[in-house]
Amino acid sequence: MKCERDKEQITRWINHQMTLDERTLFEIHLAQCPSCRQELEASQQVWDLIGKMPVPEPSAAMPVRFHAMLDTYKRSVEEKRNPLAAILERFRQLWALQPRFPLAYSLILVVMGLTGGYLLDHRNPGPDPDFAAKKQIDTLSSQVHEMKEMVMLSLLENPSASERIRGVSYTNEIRGVNKRISDALLETLNNDPNVNVRLMTLDALTHFANDPVVREGLVQSIVQQESPLVQSALADVMLKLQERRSVQPFKKLLFQKDLNGQVRSKIEQTISRLI
Amino acid sequence: MLKVKAGDLDKMALLFERHHRPLYGFLFRMTHQRESSEDMVQNVFYRMLRYRNTFNGSGEFITWMYHLARNVLKDHLKKNKSSASGQGEEGLEERAGGGPSPADLVEKKQEWKALLNAMEDLSTENREILILSRFQDLRYHEIARIMDLTEGAVRVRIHRAIHHLKNIYLQIVN
Repeated sequence: MKCERDKEQITRWINHQMTLDERTLFEIHLAQCPSCRQELEASQQVWDLIGKMPVPEPSAAMPVRFHAMLDTYKRSVEEKRNPLAAILERFRQLWALQPRFPLAYSLILVVMGLTGGYLLDHRNPGPDPDFAAKKQIDTLSSQVHEMKEMVMLSLLENPSASERIRGVSYTNEIRGVNKRISDALLETLNNDPNVNVRLMTLDALTHFANDPVVREGLVQSIVQQESPLVQSALADVMLKLQERRSVQPFKKLLFQKDLNGQVRSKIEQTISRLI
Repeated sequence: MLKVKAGDLDKMALLFERHHRPLYGFLFRMTHQRESSEDMVQNVFYRMLRYRNTFNGSGEFITWMYHLARNVLKDHLKKNKSSASGQGEEGLEERAGGGPSPADLVEKKQEWKALLNAMEDLSTENREILILSRFQDLRYHEIARIMDLTEGAVRVRIHRAIHHLKNIYLQIVN
Protein backbone atom coordinates (compact mmCIF):
# COMPACT_ATOMS: atom_id res chain seq x y z
CA MET A 1 0.00 0.00 0.00
CA LYS A 2 1.31 3.44 -0.85
CA CYS A 3 1.96 5.79 2.06
CA GLU A 4 0.28 9.19 1.87
CA ARG A 5 2.93 10.92 3.96
CA ASP A 6 4.79 13.91 2.49
CA LYS A 7 7.79 12.38 0.70
CA GLU A 8 9.69 15.63 0.96
CA GLN A 9 10.47 14.58 4.55
CA ILE A 10 12.62 11.75 3.23
CA THR A 11 14.89 14.23 1.47
CA ARG A 12 15.12 16.41 4.54
CA TRP A 13 15.97 13.38 6.69
CA ILE A 14 18.80 12.34 4.37
CA ASN A 15 19.98 15.91 4.10
CA HIS A 16 20.13 16.36 7.92
CA GLN A 17 17.78 19.32 7.72
CA MET A 18 15.22 18.16 10.29
CA THR A 19 14.95 19.39 13.86
CA LEU A 20 15.43 16.76 16.55
CA ASP A 21 11.67 16.49 17.16
CA GLU A 22 10.85 16.16 13.47
CA ARG A 23 13.53 13.50 13.14
CA THR A 24 12.24 11.43 16.07
CA LEU A 25 8.66 11.55 14.79
CA PHE A 26 9.73 10.63 11.27
CA GLU A 27 11.85 7.73 12.46
CA ILE A 28 8.91 6.32 14.44
CA HIS A 29 6.84 6.44 11.24
CA LEU A 30 9.69 4.90 9.27
CA ALA A 31 9.82 1.91 11.58
CA GLN A 32 6.19 1.12 10.72
CA CYS A 33 6.10 2.01 6.99
CA PRO A 34 7.90 -0.32 4.52
CA SER A 35 6.96 1.91 1.54
CA CYS A 36 8.73 4.96 3.05
CA ARG A 37 11.69 2.79 4.09
CA GLN A 38 12.10 1.53 0.55
CA GLU A 39 11.97 4.99 -0.88
CA LEU A 40 14.39 6.31 1.69
CA GLU A 41 16.86 3.57 0.87
CA ALA A 42 16.84 4.40 -2.87
CA SER A 43 17.14 8.13 -2.23
CA GLN A 44 19.97 7.54 0.22
CA GLN A 45 21.84 5.48 -2.39
CA VAL A 46 21.55 8.29 -4.93
CA TRP A 47 22.57 10.85 -2.32
CA ASP A 48 25.68 8.80 -1.41
CA LEU A 49 26.58 8.18 -5.03
CA ILE A 50 26.46 11.89 -5.90
CA GLY A 51 28.65 12.52 -2.88
CA LYS A 52 31.35 10.20 -4.15
CA MET A 53 31.63 11.82 -7.56
CA PRO A 54 35.28 12.79 -7.89
CA VAL A 55 36.50 16.34 -8.29
CA PRO A 56 40.11 16.83 -9.45
CA GLU A 57 42.49 18.73 -7.21
CA PRO A 58 42.96 22.36 -8.18
CA SER A 59 46.39 22.99 -9.70
CA ALA A 60 49.30 24.27 -7.63
CA ALA A 61 49.37 27.40 -9.78
CA MET A 62 46.01 28.54 -8.37
CA PRO A 63 47.30 29.90 -5.02
CA VAL A 64 50.31 31.44 -6.76
CA ARG A 65 48.02 33.28 -9.17
CA PHE A 66 45.81 34.42 -6.31
CA HIS A 67 48.74 35.86 -4.35
CA ALA A 68 50.06 37.64 -7.44
CA MET A 69 46.59 39.14 -7.97
CA LEU A 70 46.37 40.18 -4.31
CA ASP A 71 49.81 41.84 -4.47
CA THR A 72 48.87 43.77 -7.60
CA TYR A 73 45.55 44.83 -6.11
CA LYS A 74 47.16 45.98 -2.87
CA ARG A 75 49.64 48.08 -4.81
CA SER A 76 46.90 49.71 -6.85
CA VAL A 77 44.97 50.57 -3.66
CA GLU A 78 48.09 52.08 -2.10
CA GLU A 79 48.69 54.12 -5.25
CA LYS A 80 45.23 55.62 -4.99
CA ARG A 81 45.75 56.48 -1.33
CA ASN A 82 49.09 58.13 -1.80
CA PRO A 83 49.75 59.97 -5.08
CA LEU A 84 53.41 60.61 -4.17
CA ALA A 85 53.96 56.90 -3.66
CA ALA A 86 52.23 56.35 -7.01
CA ILE A 87 54.82 58.51 -8.77
CA LEU A 88 57.64 56.64 -7.02
CA GLU A 89 56.01 53.36 -8.02
CA ARG A 90 55.93 54.52 -11.65
CA PHE A 91 59.70 55.07 -11.41
CA ARG A 92 60.14 51.61 -9.93
CA GLN A 93 58.13 50.15 -12.78
CA LEU A 94 60.32 52.00 -15.23
CA TRP A 95 63.28 50.38 -13.52
CA ALA A 96 61.55 47.01 -13.78
CA LEU A 97 61.15 47.47 -17.51
CA GLN A 98 64.89 47.44 -17.85
CA PRO A 99 65.17 43.67 -18.53
CA ARG A 100 64.42 44.72 -22.09
CA PHE A 101 67.77 46.48 -22.33
CA PRO A 102 69.91 43.47 -21.42
CA LEU A 103 67.70 41.44 -23.71
CA ALA A 104 68.27 43.79 -26.62
CA TYR A 105 71.95 43.92 -25.75
CA SER A 106 72.18 40.13 -25.77
CA LEU A 107 70.38 39.94 -29.10
CA ILE A 108 72.86 42.43 -30.57
CA LEU A 109 75.67 40.24 -29.25
CA VAL A 110 74.13 37.20 -30.93
CA VAL A 111 73.82 39.03 -34.25
CA MET A 112 77.38 40.31 -33.94
CA GLY A 113 78.60 36.82 -33.20
CA LEU A 114 76.81 35.47 -36.24
CA THR A 115 78.11 38.21 -38.55
CA GLY A 116 81.62 37.97 -37.16
CA GLY A 117 81.65 34.23 -37.56
CA TYR A 118 80.36 34.50 -41.10
CA LEU A 119 82.95 37.12 -42.10
CA LEU A 120 85.81 35.21 -40.49
CA ASP A 121 84.76 32.07 -42.26
CA HIS A 122 84.70 33.81 -45.67
CA ARG A 123 87.84 35.88 -45.28
CA ASN A 124 89.97 33.05 -44.15
CA PRO A 125 88.81 29.72 -45.49
CA GLY A 126 91.04 27.71 -43.08
CA PRO A 127 92.05 24.15 -43.52
CA ASP A 128 89.49 22.88 -40.99
CA PRO A 129 85.97 24.30 -41.59
CA ASP A 130 84.43 21.89 -39.07
CA PHE A 131 86.54 23.32 -36.31
CA ALA A 132 85.52 26.88 -37.21
CA ALA A 133 81.82 25.91 -37.26
CA LYS A 134 82.11 24.19 -33.93
CA LYS A 135 83.80 27.21 -32.44
CA GLN A 136 81.07 29.43 -33.83
CA ILE A 137 78.33 27.23 -32.35
CA ASP A 138 80.11 27.21 -29.00
CA THR A 139 80.32 30.99 -29.02
CA LEU A 140 76.66 31.31 -29.94
CA SER A 141 75.44 28.86 -27.34
CA SER A 142 77.46 30.56 -24.62
CA GLN A 143 75.95 33.88 -25.68
CA VAL A 144 72.42 32.47 -25.53
CA HIS A 145 73.20 31.02 -22.14
CA GLU A 146 74.45 34.37 -20.94
CA MET A 147 71.31 36.00 -22.27
CA LYS A 148 69.05 33.59 -20.35
CA GLU A 149 71.07 34.25 -17.25
CA MET A 150 70.58 37.99 -17.60
CA VAL A 151 66.85 37.66 -18.18
CA MET A 152 66.58 35.49 -15.10
CA LEU A 153 68.50 37.93 -12.92
CA SER A 154 66.38 40.83 -14.16
CA LEU A 155 63.13 38.98 -13.51
CA LEU A 156 64.21 38.28 -9.92
CA GLU A 157 64.25 42.04 -9.35
CA ASN A 158 60.71 42.48 -10.66
CA PRO A 159 58.14 43.85 -8.17
CA SER A 160 55.49 41.32 -9.26
CA ALA A 161 55.65 37.97 -7.44
CA SER A 162 54.53 35.98 -10.48
CA GLU A 163 57.32 37.53 -12.58
CA ARG A 164 59.87 36.62 -9.91
CA ILE A 165 58.53 33.05 -9.92
CA ARG A 166 59.03 33.05 -13.69
CA GLY A 167 62.59 34.19 -13.09
CA VAL A 168 63.24 31.36 -10.65
CA SER A 169 61.81 28.83 -13.10
CA TYR A 170 64.42 29.97 -15.66
CA THR A 171 67.05 28.18 -13.59
CA ASN A 172 65.83 24.90 -15.14
CA GLU A 173 67.18 26.11 -18.45
CA ILE A 174 70.54 27.19 -17.13
CA ARG A 175 73.41 24.72 -17.08
CA GLY A 176 75.36 24.71 -13.86
CA VAL A 177 75.47 27.60 -11.47
CA ASN A 178 77.86 30.48 -11.15
CA LYS A 179 78.40 32.88 -8.29
CA ARG A 180 76.12 35.54 -9.72
CA ILE A 181 73.17 33.13 -10.01
CA SER A 182 73.73 31.44 -6.67
CA ASP A 183 74.05 34.81 -4.91
CA ALA A 184 70.86 36.11 -6.54
CA LEU A 185 68.90 32.96 -5.68
CA LEU A 186 70.15 32.87 -2.08
CA GLU A 187 69.30 36.55 -1.73
CA THR A 188 65.76 35.77 -2.97
CA LEU A 189 65.46 32.78 -0.63
CA ASN A 190 66.40 34.90 2.38
CA ASN A 191 64.72 38.19 1.61
CA ASP A 192 61.81 37.80 -0.82
CA PRO A 193 58.56 39.03 0.80
CA ASN A 194 56.45 36.33 -0.89
CA VAL A 195 56.41 32.79 0.58
CA ASN A 196 55.63 31.11 -2.75
CA VAL A 197 58.64 32.76 -4.39
CA ARG A 198 60.85 31.64 -1.51
CA LEU A 199 59.55 28.06 -1.78
CA MET A 200 60.16 27.97 -5.54
CA THR A 201 63.66 29.36 -5.00
CA LEU A 202 64.44 26.72 -2.40
CA ASP A 203 63.33 24.07 -4.87
CA ALA A 204 65.55 25.55 -7.59
CA LEU A 205 68.55 25.80 -5.24
CA THR A 206 68.16 22.16 -4.21
CA HIS A 207 69.06 21.19 -7.80
CA PHE A 208 72.37 22.99 -7.37
CA ALA A 209 73.07 21.53 -3.93
CA ASN A 210 76.26 19.86 -5.16
CA ASP A 211 77.84 23.29 -5.30
CA PRO A 212 79.54 23.95 -1.92
CA VAL A 213 78.57 27.65 -1.93
CA VAL A 214 74.88 26.85 -2.50
CA ARG A 215 74.97 24.17 0.17
CA GLU A 216 76.54 26.52 2.69
CA GLY A 217 74.00 29.21 1.73
CA LEU A 218 71.10 26.80 2.31
CA VAL A 219 72.42 25.85 5.76
CA GLN A 220 72.84 29.50 6.71
CA SER A 221 69.36 30.32 5.45
CA ILE A 222 67.71 28.09 8.09
CA VAL A 223 67.92 30.66 10.89
CA GLN A 224 66.79 33.47 8.60
CA GLN A 225 63.43 31.95 7.68
CA GLU A 226 60.32 32.90 9.60
CA SER A 227 57.60 31.20 7.57
CA PRO A 228 56.65 27.71 8.88
CA LEU A 229 56.22 26.52 5.26
CA VAL A 230 59.78 27.43 4.30
CA GLN A 231 61.21 26.13 7.59
CA SER A 232 59.52 22.81 7.05
CA ALA A 233 60.63 22.64 3.38
CA LEU A 234 64.22 23.36 4.46
CA ALA A 235 64.01 20.48 6.95
CA ASP A 236 62.99 18.17 4.08
CA VAL A 237 65.82 19.42 1.89
CA MET A 238 68.47 18.99 4.60
CA LEU A 239 67.27 15.47 5.28
CA LYS A 240 67.43 14.67 1.56
CA LEU A 241 70.94 16.08 1.32
CA GLN A 242 71.94 14.40 4.61
CA GLU A 243 73.53 17.70 5.55
CA ARG A 244 74.79 17.38 9.14
CA ARG A 245 75.94 20.98 9.37
CA SER A 246 72.24 21.91 9.45
CA VAL A 247 71.78 20.36 12.92
CA GLN A 248 73.24 23.39 14.71
CA PRO A 249 71.00 26.01 13.01
CA PHE A 250 67.95 23.77 13.48
CA LYS A 251 68.74 23.53 17.20
CA LYS A 252 68.88 27.33 17.25
CA LEU A 253 65.42 27.45 15.67
CA LEU A 254 64.09 25.17 18.41
CA PHE A 255 65.03 27.85 20.96
CA GLN A 256 62.56 30.27 19.36
CA LYS A 257 59.47 30.44 21.54
CA ASP A 258 57.06 31.33 18.75
CA LEU A 259 58.09 28.42 16.51
CA ASN A 260 55.08 26.65 14.96
CA GLY A 261 54.24 23.41 16.84
CA GLN A 262 54.18 21.18 13.76
CA VAL A 263 57.44 22.65 12.47
CA ARG A 264 59.01 22.08 15.89
CA SER A 265 58.20 18.36 15.87
CA LYS A 266 59.33 18.07 12.24
CA ILE A 267 62.67 19.72 13.04
CA GLU A 268 63.15 17.47 16.06
CA GLN A 269 62.58 14.43 13.83
CA THR A 270 64.97 15.81 11.21
CA ILE A 271 67.70 16.39 13.79
CA SER A 272 67.32 12.90 15.21
CA ARG A 273 67.55 11.38 11.72
CA LEU A 274 70.57 13.46 10.78
CA ILE A 275 72.63 12.64 13.89
CA MET B 1 35.95 39.65 5.84
CA LEU B 2 35.08 42.66 7.98
CA LYS B 3 38.81 43.20 8.53
CA VAL B 4 39.37 43.09 4.76
CA LYS B 5 36.59 45.62 4.36
CA ALA B 6 38.30 47.84 6.93
CA GLY B 7 41.43 47.84 4.77
CA ASP B 8 43.44 44.84 6.05
CA LEU B 9 43.71 43.27 2.58
CA ASP B 10 46.23 40.64 3.77
CA LYS B 11 43.37 38.86 5.57
CA MET B 12 42.03 37.95 2.13
CA ALA B 13 44.84 35.39 1.89
CA LEU B 14 43.41 33.66 4.96
CA LEU B 15 39.93 33.59 3.43
CA PHE B 16 41.39 32.15 0.23
CA GLU B 17 43.18 29.40 2.19
CA ARG B 18 39.93 28.45 3.93
CA HIS B 19 37.44 28.65 1.12
CA HIS B 20 39.09 28.18 -2.27
CA ARG B 21 38.75 24.40 -2.33
CA PRO B 22 35.00 24.17 -1.59
CA LEU B 23 34.40 27.06 -3.98
CA TYR B 24 36.42 25.31 -6.69
CA GLY B 25 34.42 22.11 -5.96
CA PHE B 26 31.14 23.96 -6.48
CA LEU B 27 32.26 25.56 -9.74
CA PHE B 28 33.81 22.36 -11.07
CA ARG B 29 30.67 20.37 -10.32
CA MET B 30 28.65 22.98 -12.17
CA THR B 31 30.88 23.13 -15.27
CA HIS B 32 33.14 20.03 -15.26
CA GLN B 33 35.84 22.29 -16.63
CA ARG B 34 39.01 22.39 -14.63
CA GLU B 35 40.73 25.47 -15.96
CA SER B 36 37.59 27.56 -16.20
CA SER B 37 36.73 26.66 -12.60
CA GLU B 38 40.15 27.84 -11.45
CA ASP B 39 39.72 31.07 -13.42
CA MET B 40 36.32 31.57 -11.86
CA VAL B 41 37.70 31.07 -8.32
CA GLN B 42 40.27 33.75 -9.10
CA ASN B 43 37.52 35.99 -10.42
CA VAL B 44 35.32 35.50 -7.32
CA PHE B 45 38.19 36.47 -5.01
CA TYR B 46 38.97 39.47 -7.20
CA ARG B 47 35.33 40.59 -6.93
CA MET B 48 35.44 40.12 -3.16
CA LEU B 49 38.34 42.57 -3.04
CA ARG B 50 36.80 44.97 -5.48
CA TYR B 51 33.32 44.97 -3.96
CA ARG B 52 34.40 44.47 -0.35
CA ASN B 53 32.36 47.51 0.65
CA THR B 54 29.15 45.75 -0.35
CA PHE B 55 29.70 43.09 2.35
CA ASN B 56 27.53 44.46 5.11
CA GLY B 57 28.41 41.89 7.75
CA SER B 58 24.78 41.21 8.61
CA GLY B 59 24.76 37.91 6.68
CA GLU B 60 27.33 35.13 6.67
CA PHE B 61 30.48 35.50 4.60
CA ILE B 62 29.77 32.13 2.96
CA THR B 63 26.41 33.21 1.57
CA TRP B 64 27.97 36.39 0.20
CA MET B 65 30.79 34.39 -1.40
CA TYR B 66 28.41 31.98 -3.16
CA HIS B 67 26.26 34.90 -4.21
CA LEU B 68 29.27 36.37 -6.03
CA ALA B 69 30.24 32.93 -7.33
CA ARG B 70 26.81 32.49 -8.88
CA ASN B 71 27.16 35.75 -10.75
CA VAL B 72 30.60 34.77 -12.06
CA LEU B 73 29.21 31.38 -13.05
CA LYS B 74 26.26 32.98 -14.81
CA ASP B 75 28.61 35.13 -16.90
CA HIS B 76 30.74 32.10 -17.70
CA LEU B 77 27.77 29.98 -18.78
CA LYS B 78 26.46 32.80 -20.93
CA LYS B 79 29.82 33.07 -22.69
CA ASN B 80 30.21 29.31 -23.16
CA LYS B 81 26.68 28.20 -23.86
CA SER B 82 27.72 25.40 -26.17
CA SER B 83 30.61 24.03 -24.16
CA ALA B 84 28.74 23.64 -20.88
CA SER B 85 27.47 20.17 -21.72
CA GLY B 86 29.28 17.12 -23.02
CA GLN B 87 32.37 17.61 -20.88
CA GLY B 88 31.07 15.74 -17.91
CA GLU B 89 33.77 13.15 -17.63
CA GLU B 90 36.77 15.28 -16.84
CA GLY B 91 36.57 14.47 -13.16
CA LEU B 92 35.73 10.81 -13.62
CA GLU B 93 39.10 10.10 -15.19
CA GLU B 94 40.79 11.26 -12.01
CA ARG B 95 41.39 9.60 -8.68
CA ALA B 96 41.20 6.05 -9.95
CA GLY B 97 43.76 4.82 -7.39
CA GLY B 98 42.92 3.38 -3.99
CA GLY B 99 39.76 1.60 -2.81
CA PRO B 100 37.56 -0.21 -5.31
CA SER B 101 38.63 -2.87 -7.82
CA PRO B 102 38.74 -2.00 -11.55
CA ALA B 103 35.46 -3.85 -12.21
CA ASP B 104 33.71 -1.94 -9.44
CA LEU B 105 35.18 1.24 -10.78
CA VAL B 106 33.85 0.64 -14.29
CA GLU B 107 30.43 -0.04 -12.85
CA LYS B 108 30.62 3.07 -10.63
CA LYS B 109 31.77 5.14 -13.56
CA GLN B 110 28.75 4.12 -15.58
CA GLU B 111 26.46 4.97 -12.69
CA TRP B 112 28.15 8.35 -12.30
CA LYS B 113 27.92 9.02 -16.01
CA ALA B 114 24.20 8.30 -15.99
CA LEU B 115 23.74 10.47 -12.90
CA LEU B 116 25.76 13.27 -14.46
CA ASN B 117 23.53 13.13 -17.51
CA ALA B 118 20.48 13.17 -15.27
CA MET B 119 21.90 16.19 -13.46
CA GLU B 120 22.36 17.95 -16.78
CA ASP B 121 18.58 17.57 -17.24
CA LEU B 122 18.00 19.75 -14.20
CA SER B 123 17.82 23.49 -14.70
CA THR B 124 21.02 25.40 -13.83
CA GLU B 125 19.33 26.85 -10.79
CA ASN B 126 18.15 23.50 -9.47
CA ARG B 127 21.59 22.00 -10.07
CA GLU B 128 23.12 24.85 -8.09
CA ILE B 129 20.71 24.25 -5.22
CA LEU B 130 21.42 20.51 -5.20
CA ILE B 131 25.22 20.99 -5.24
CA LEU B 132 25.11 23.68 -2.56
CA SER B 133 23.05 21.39 -0.39
CA ARG B 134 24.99 18.17 -1.01
CA PHE B 135 28.57 19.42 -0.96
CA GLN B 136 28.84 22.80 0.66
CA ASP B 137 27.23 21.83 3.99
CA LEU B 138 24.74 24.67 3.84
CA ARG B 139 21.39 24.84 5.62
CA TYR B 140 18.24 25.40 3.58
CA HIS B 141 17.84 28.95 4.91
CA GLU B 142 21.41 29.79 3.81
CA ILE B 143 20.81 28.39 0.33
CA ALA B 144 17.58 30.38 0.21
CA ARG B 145 19.53 33.57 0.94
CA ILE B 146 22.15 32.78 -1.72
CA MET B 147 19.51 32.00 -4.32
CA ASP B 148 17.06 34.76 -3.37
CA LEU B 149 14.32 32.19 -2.78
CA THR B 150 12.14 31.23 0.15
CA GLU B 151 13.23 28.35 2.35
CA GLY B 152 10.12 26.43 1.29
CA ALA B 153 11.00 26.79 -2.39
CA VAL B 154 14.51 25.44 -1.72
CA ARG B 155 13.04 22.49 0.15
CA VAL B 156 10.71 21.57 -2.70
CA ARG B 157 13.35 22.00 -5.40
CA ILE B 158 15.90 19.78 -3.65
CA HIS B 159 13.28 17.12 -3.14
CA ARG B 160 12.26 17.23 -6.81
CA ALA B 161 15.87 17.06 -7.96
CA ILE B 162 16.60 14.02 -5.79
CA HIS B 163 13.36 12.41 -6.96
CA HIS B 164 14.39 12.92 -10.59
CA LEU B 165 17.87 11.48 -10.02
CA LYS B 166 16.46 8.55 -8.08
CA ASN B 167 14.16 7.60 -10.94
CA ILE B 168 17.08 7.64 -13.38
CA TYR B 169 19.23 5.66 -10.96
CA LEU B 170 16.54 3.02 -10.44
CA GLN B 171 16.25 2.62 -14.22
CA ILE B 172 19.98 1.87 -14.45
CA VAL B 173 20.04 -0.51 -11.49
CA ASN B 174 17.04 -2.48 -12.69
